[in-house]
Amino acid sequence: MSVAAAATTMVPRQEHVETASKADRHRIRTAFAFLAPSLLGVILFLVIPIIFVIGLSLVQWNMLTPMKWVGLSNYVNIFEFDGFGHSLVVTAYYVILNIPIQTAFALGMAMLLRSKRAGTGVIRIIAVLPFLSTPVAMGVVWNWVFNPSTGLVNQFLAHLGIAGPAWLSNEATAMPVIAFANIWQYAGYNMLFFLAGLAAIPPTVYEAAALDGATKAQQFWRVTMPLLRPTMLFVLVTGVIGSFQVFDTVYVMTAGGPGNATEVASLNIYNTAFAGFRIGEASAMSVVLFLVILAITVVQFRYFNKRMTYEIA
Amino acid sequence: MTSATTAVPAAAATVQTTERTSRLTKGVRLTLFYLLLLIIALVFILPYLMSVFAAFKPLAAILSQSPLRPPAPLTLDNFKTIFTQYDFGRYLANTLLVTVILTAGQVTFSMMGAYAFARMEFPGRDSLFWLYLMTLMVPNIVTLVPLYVMFAHSHLLNTYWAIFLPYVLGVPYSVFLMRQYFMTIPKEVMEAARLDGCSEGRILWRIIVPISRPIIITATLLAFVFGWNNFMWPLIVTNSNSLNVLTVGIANFNSNFSVQWNLILAGALVALIPMVILFAIFQKHIVNSISLTGINR
Amino acid sequence: MSAPRPGPARRSAPRRAGFAARIMIIGAVLTLLTGCAGWGLSSSGGGSTVTLTYALWDPHEQVGYQQSIDEFEKLHPNIKVDIENIPYGNYEQKMIAEFITGGAPDLFWVNTPWLATFIKDGMLTNLTPLIKASHITMSQYYPQLVALHSRGSAIYGLPKDWDTIALYYNKAYFAKLHLAVPANLSWNTDGTGSFVTFLKEATTDTSGHNALSPRFNPNKIATYAIAIDNDPQGGWGDYVAEAGGSVLPYPDAPRTSLTTPQVNQGITFLTKYLTGDHVMVPGDLSGPNANGANLEQMFAQGQVAMWEQGDWNTLTVKTSTTFPVGVTTLPIGPDGRVSVFNGLIDGLNSHTRYPKQAWELEQWLGSPASEAIMGSGGYVWPAIKSLDPLFLRYWQKQGIDMQAFLTEAQGKVINFPNSPGVGDALTDIDNDLGPAFLGTEPVSQALKAAQTDADYVLRTS
Repeated sequence: MSVAAAATTMVPRQEHVETASKADRHRIRTAFAFLAPSLLGVILFLVIPIIFVIGLSLVQWNMLTPMKWVGLSNYVNIFEFDGFGHSLVVTAYYVILNIPIQTAFALGMAMLLRSKRAGTGVIRIIAVLPFLSTPVAMGVVWNWVFNPSTGLVNQFLAHLGIAGPAWLSNEATAMPVIAFANIWQYAGYNMLFFLAGLAAIPPTVYEAAALDGATKAQQFWRVTMPLLRPTMLFVLVTGVIGSFQVFDTVYVMTAGGPGNATEVASLNIYNTAFAGFRIGEASAMSVVLFLVILAITVVQFRYFNKRMTYEIA
Repeated sequence: MTSATTAVPAAAATVQTTERTSRLTKGVRLTLFYLLLLIIALVFILPYLMSVFAAFKPLAAILSQSPLRPPAPLTLDNFKTIFTQYDFGRYLANTLLVTVILTAGQVTFSMMGAYAFARMEFPGRDSLFWLYLMTLMVPNIVTLVPLYVMFAHSHLLNTYWAIFLPYVLGVPYSVFLMRQYFMTIPKEVMEAARLDGCSEGRILWRIIVPISRPIIITATLLAFVFGWNNFMWPLIVTNSNSLNVLTVGIANFNSNFSVQWNLILAGALVALIPMVILFAIFQKHIVNSISLTGINR
Repeated sequence: MSAPRPGPARRSAPRRAGFAARIMIIGAVLTLLTGCAGWGLSSSGGGSTVTLTYALWDPHEQVGYQQSIDEFEKLHPNIKVDIENIPYGNYEQKMIAEFITGGAPDLFWVNTPWLATFIKDGMLTNLTPLIKASHITMSQYYPQLVALHSRGSAIYGLPKDWDTIALYYNKAYFAKLHLAVPANLSWNTDGTGSFVTFLKEATTDTSGHNALSPRFNPNKIATYAIAIDNDPQGGWGDYVAEAGGSVLPYPDAPRTSLTTPQVNQGITFLTKYLTGDHVMVPGDLSGPNANGANLEQMFAQGQVAMWEQGDWNTLTVKTSTTFPVGVTTLPIGPDGRVSVFNGLIDGLNSHTRYPKQAWELEQWLGSPASEAIMGSGGYVWPAIKSLDPLFLRYWQKQGIDMQAFLTEAQGKVINFPNSPGVGDALTDIDNDLGPAFLGTEPVSQALKAAQTDADYVLRTS
């Protein structure tokens, strides 16, 4: 190839490279322009606060007087003096009351309502309705329903000749009632996930199992449950993470009472930060809560990963 | 031959009896089934029904009658009282205002981010997406105290801004949701549009959005419901009663007038009824949104 | 092929900018409009009229204050005052939160549990220079109140009222028993003394036997002689003081002095002797954590003959009882007769937008004219000593002789505990002392726990 020819062939390629990088840069700029608002939001309202709260947990501060560096002593004090250990136990108790029963109901309703019989469609919709309800508003409704004298529950029990307890002022019944409120609200919604999971199991698997002589019960435990593991994992993980942060219902129904029997972690954080204005201790509580939730989530994932041996293609 | 002829009627007789018994058990099972359905329906509907009844009764009637009895003379006084004497009209207006702004911003900006992650090429795309995913793991409560301090420092506390700002610029969950959906749209659609000289904005607005209506409706619904039901953040970030949203108004009312059930339940209904209506209109989308989250993939 | 196509590249940039910008502009305008609406504060600034906000919690006293403020507005036509009622339950938190957001009222009631906190946090204005400039004589007020609200030469409010603790009693019940209520009963730390004897005479079981009788059935008590609750002001606080002890070793102390023998003796007198002798309402009947929540009803229903409480309960006592009510002084302890003494001030917001007008209001509310309105209406004892007879006269007309409170106020008193964070510390103390009143924990153990928890709060406030 002559030099002139080579020169002419080279020029367009160079221009190609130039135009490519210009278009590249333009494309990248556009992409970041699209990303900018949400990225700003994530950095400003998620990343920075997470870093900030760790810093705040190392000081003693009430927002009106200067901060005082205290190192890690907040992490000791929240357990020794602010009853945070108790709050974590109370919250765990709530999660244990809430999640297994709620998941069982969700699965049970899904099993029941996946049939195509008349009426199941309507009931499916009715069961999901509560999940949109404002928890604060529902809490007030439950206050009334469980009121010792004017509520439906005790009036119904009175008809049966039983004297119903003061549900929300009694240490033994207060937390179960709050758990009930949450189960009522989310069982239907979680049922939808199970319905989708059940629908994904091809009927041929059941047919094969039936041919092998499996009873209905065996089919459930040996076929349905294992194949529902991904759904189960999702429902349990989201349920546990959500339950550990319960606040609205408790605030409106018991405010942590009787005594501190229902003082869940988020309520303790709220009281410490916004009634007591002890920012450092509240921040330490937030960090600890985060670590607890993280640990439990990791454990759940590990548990399920070991057991998810097969999936439907 | 005789044994065969006698055997067949006997077999037919046993088949008939088994059929009859199985029809009986089938009938019992069917009744049980519908009984269970009825119980489920009652459990989920009764609280709403009773609240609606009570909101239209005077306090004396609530205290003396069964909660299941419909209001005999229906009274609008409770609603009149909470709207004129207790500022619920203002709370409702505040809630609508911040929720609409929150929803509009969140859906729009999340959609833009989702599109960028799904169909645009840029350096750091995967790491940034991982960042978004990781922040999903952080519980809301963890950021509450530091955000409050940040807003206090910026003199934004006790303003409308404070109520919706942390959520209006797009949130990782919305971005994630819509990105998953956008990734199911064939690349060729966008390539073709780009070759035609469409800007990315045009592609998103004119092409992607119309075919993504289901996921956008889902995201809008989720954002609206979140904003409407949000309690802890508005509670800590506002002081003046004039800025109260419905949740805060109801909670305050509950702590000050806990035994005025007629007014409290009327107030609760102001918050609940719009959600019921929303659900009735969009329940198909809500149910379908489960499959859109793609958790079974 | 050679040059890049200019058309689409140039077209797309403004398009993209246009689309995204459109969204952002709409969003920004919307938020700006609504955000601005949220920035409006309560005080108006139109013209020369200034509107001040004044926060309080007692709805009954509010009636009296409204009358006083009506007079103030007549004297100051350019100043309007909006009274804001904030329920006591979260008054302190709300006030601090409003300071953080910059929207606190111009004047607001300050009670002693959080007085020192507010001073330390810089929320209150030092009034000393203003008092000097306006030539206000501080000697007209009770000296203990002036001392309570001073820090060195700085004083943070003009005393406007006082309250103390005495014994309301059921006159009809004592008349039925033909028992006169003596004025000067005394008690000793070993459970002896005329006070205990009198209380035994005043306790009756369902068969009509009093606690001195050998046939007295402690399981069937119809009326207890006295009700004393788990409270540092209206309950054990007075007996601890009369035993020579105190919650704090000195004002603004960063720790408590709860494990002294005197405090122990004071509490033990109540938990071991009065409760043990069945003359005092036991902790579990008195309310959750023995906090006395049930006592008002018990007194009104005649289940307890004498109710130890602060004088702010007088209206409640009057309206909830159907029998004539008398008031007698606390008994005399080893250290004399000592009652817990308290008084509120109107704090002047250190960041008020209208310092001149706010000072006018503060002056008025601490003046004889305003305190006379509050006293003669029976709302509260005026902090100006010479005006006390007005309050006395009002309640005498209502049939209740409040002289006992005045006698105590003019005698030996101990101020309500005063230190940054003391409100929260006292809550912890009450929680930790509950078991002692319920009989489930020894007093020394309860006091030790109370001291540990309270010291932490005081240390970190």
